[in-house]
Amino acid sequence: MAEMGDYLDRAVAAEIRARIESHLAHCQTCQIVYDSAWKTVKILTDSGSFDLPEAASKSIAGKVMARIRSQQRSV
Amino acid sequence: MSYLRQVELDSSFPPFAAFREHFGFVPNLFRAQSLLPGVIEAEAGIAASVLIREQALSRIRKERILLALAAANRNAYCVTAHYQMLSLLGVPEKRLNEIISDYRQAGLSPADKALLYFALKLGRYSPSVSRKDFTPLLAHGWDDESMLEAVLVTALANFLCTLSTGVGAVPDFEPRQIPTDVLSSPGMYPSNGAEESSGPYLKAIQRSPDEFAPFAFFREKFGFIPNIFRAQTLRPDVVEAEASAIREVLLTEQFLTRVQKESILLVISAANLNTYCVAVHCEMLRAMGISMEDSDQIAVDHRQARLAESDKALLDFALKLTVQPSRFCREGLEPLRKHGFTDEQILETLVMTSFTNFLNTLQMGLGVTPDFPPRLILRPTPSKVANLLDNNRHPIEIDLQADPDTEPVARVQGGDLDAFEDLINRHSRRVYRTLVGILGNPDEARDAMQDTFLKAFQHLGDFQGRSKFSTWLVSIASNTGLQLLRDRKHVQSLHDDAVETDEGFRPQQIRAWSDDPEQLYSKSEVRTLVEDHVMKLPAKYRVVLVLRDIEQLSIEESAAALGLGIPALKSRHLRGRLMLREALTPHFTVAAKGEPA
Repeated sequence: MAEMGDYLDRAVAAEIRARIESHLAHCQTCQIVYDSAWKTVKILTDSGSFDLPEAASKSIAGKVMARIRSQQRSV
Repeated sequence: MSYLRQVELDSSFPPFAAFREHFGFVPNLFRAQSLLPGVIEAEAGIAASVLIREQALSRIRKERILLALAAANRNAYCVTAHYQMLSLLGVPEKRLNEIISDYRQAGLSPADKALLYFALKLGRYSPSVSRKDFTPLLAHGWDDESMLEAVLVTALANFLCTLSTGVGAVPDFEPRQIPTDVLSSPGMYPSNGAEESSGPYLKAIQRSPDEFAPFAFFREKFGFIPNIFRAQTLRPDVVEAEASAIREVLLTEQFLTRVQKESILLVISAANLNTYCVAVHCEMLRAMGISMEDSDQIAVDHRQARLAESDKALLDFALKLTVQPSRFCREGLEPLRKHGFTDEQILETLVMTSFTNFLNTLQMGLGVTPDFPPRLILRPTPSKVANLLDNNRHPIEIDLQADPDTEPVARVQGGDLDAFEDLINRHSRRVYRTLVGILGNPDEARDAMQDTFLKAFQHLGDFQGRSKFSTWLVSIASNTGLQLLRDRKHVQSLHDDAVETDEGFRPQQIRAWSDDPEQLYSKSEVRTLVEDHVMKLPAKYRVVLVLRDIEQLSIEESAAALGLGIPALKSRHLRGRLMLREALTPHFTVAAKGEPA
């Protein structure tokens, strides 16, 4: 299983990669799991999820800076 | 509108209609080539397959490469055009300005930064690229299809920059200023990689000329199928567009002769230190009756070659456009006009020069080996390096490991509060994602952001720069989030290490997914699905998934920020991905939309 994680990250040694791929060639269940895991990662990466809109970022920066400036004045 | 005579083309001219559809306007760069409509068609074909068609890289990613390279090349026309296109695609102005001045500061993921670094290196000094440059791309998860597209888009960027300089295209929109200090610190000149960088670097599919028309075309016209095209078969549509461009730009003898065009190709390829293209085109000139000695002489120094003075002037002109684009101006066309070249011939020269830069960049990025044993191994010579040392062409070496925040952090430490506001804006997304990952609630995450940045400000004096500033900040966010979880007595904790074995999770859903699952839904639907299901995961998996796959922090950075060991981080990451796979399966199987699965 640990190898599966590394394989999904393309970080396995060539011989392990070859072993996984030769297993995949024969095992349909694993093929489906690997294929859908790849696709999960791709969807997750491409989705741009949990993005913070520019305006929200600006507003938070404004609030934080206001608090910092007021603290600095009161010191 | 340009240095050359223009004629009115019918508004229904198909490439113009296509530009209007995809860009919203017809770029002046193409209007300026109205003397050669066939060439515009070939260029539109390449633009359609390389840029507009979204296969591996998104349009935004490709436009970012084009913008960053246009800025590095200091090409105002291309900067303006790609700025406009990225604006239309919804990228905020601030980000665009950051990409122009220094893409490392543009809030991009590490994977995207690695991609831009690669593109800039290839685009600005292609001989420095070797197989080693693909290792970081692979580590960031880019597949061969994506890397091929990155090489193609980089080649396209050089094509567009050369051509727009040559024709003197007027920007289509209010010209964008290019700051003087665009990422262009003169770096080291790496040695010519021609020998050690034997490729090809990317995988390709064997195609036979019997079933693949472009290969049949090359075999018929050249007598062989050049390796440069064999190396791109992951994208048969691109090879097809390139074959059309070869026919239109190189083989059609309308105004310049084929020998003149091949000579341009040779001289420019030699200036770009491209051993492959020199070998191939020496061979082609030989097939046209030019002796090896003569073609070698053209490559080494065309001024000493047995050529008509007018042809030497033509090659001078092409060379100047390539190695000193910043000094190129309208007056540069005068020597050609004096030698009696027509605007049509000048335009063909410009297109041929630009197309050579395209092929040279492409070849260096693919690492294809010559089809013929090269007789000349090109190395940087003092005179050519001197040419290349033109301000506009010096190569850049960027240290990917350097922390881009060092300078603003030092400014804050020295009392500059505005610099801290910049740091907040630069890192707010990353902090937000960390907190959403931990808290599982966008509103709570936004509130916790303020605490995170306040704590960071208070403790900035202690920050020694032993880790990157961004990693340090994420660890503050992570501690802030965890404290909130504890205060609210959430049952979940990131540090309950109960049963952290790999045995606890076995795939349940064994159903094949659709070939292209993202096409089943709109982008916003996909995003909602992902967000909903990620939110339902236990916090300890959710946060790792968000940091690694969405924020794309490295394993080491994520582990350091969360205070976890690397094995624990990897195990949670895999578990999170597999849990998400289970949750998404009902939505993305072949029968997911429409009929019940």
